[in-house]
Amino acid sequence: MKKTNAVGCVLCILTLLFTTSAIVSCKGKDKKSTETTVTNTVTDTPATTTPTPPVTISGDDELRRGVTDATKDYPNVKAAVADSVITLTGEIKRADWQKLNPTLNSLHPKRVNSANLTIK
Amino acid sequence: MSLQDKYKTLIDTANQSGVSGLQVREQNNVLYIDGSAPSAAVKDKLWSIYNQIDPDYKSGDVVINVNATAASGSKAVVSTNSGNLNIRKGPGTDQEIIGKAAHGESVTILSEANDQWSLIKNAKGDEGYVYKQYLTAQ
Repeated sequence: MKKTNAVGCVLCILTLLFTTSAIVSCKGKDKKSTETTVTNTVTDTPATTTPTPPVTISGDDELRRGVTDATKDYPNVKAAVADSVITLTGEIKRADWQKLNPTLNSLHPKRVNSANLTIK
Repeated sequence: MSLQDKYKTLIDTANQSGVSGLQVREQNNVLYIDGSAPSAAVKDKLWSIYNQIDPDYKSGDVVINVNATAASGSKAVVSTNSGNLNIRKGPGTDQEIIGKAAHGESVTILSEANDQWSLIKNAKGDEGYVYKQYLTAQ
């Protein structure tokens, strides 16, 4: 009886040892495969390009202040600002328009609409 | 024709003229060209090409924000249509007028407040802000 118990016990321990080592080796394999995935992700990252930043567009209040300053000396030009678009009407000399438009552009409008501005 | 094709000469010139930080972007059917020009002459050249492609800028499909920064201590000539240029306490037409600079007068640029206003000193020694549109780099 005692001999059988002892053999049983040894078998039990052996089984336990085997199972544990199997689990450990399995865990090791899992870890290894995870590491491989991580390495792949790192390799892919430099290939992605940085997105272009959006264009800077000023708000209406800021644009109105800038447009007031810019058009102060052109009494025949009427300017309106809505939705960041500067709309000009009235009339202006060609030489003056060539000075004024670059200044209006530098205020960061969405666009400058001069379709109804008469250039003389 | 895309805007980049229509304004190809303008974009190519900006690329070849040493404009730093040049960005050419198309957004909602408007072409935006941003950057810093190495000189006022380069800025003028770009605007001249723009005017050739789109006479009097009537299409309004481009916004060019390529400005030249004048070096501190450089000289500029006042180019008002006829009268004096107001020298103001701060950068804005709502600011107090503290001096005048005559048409054709040479002034010294001390710094630039923004793309529209420069801090200058006139021949008399008055220091204040003037509208850049009326200054021509010397």
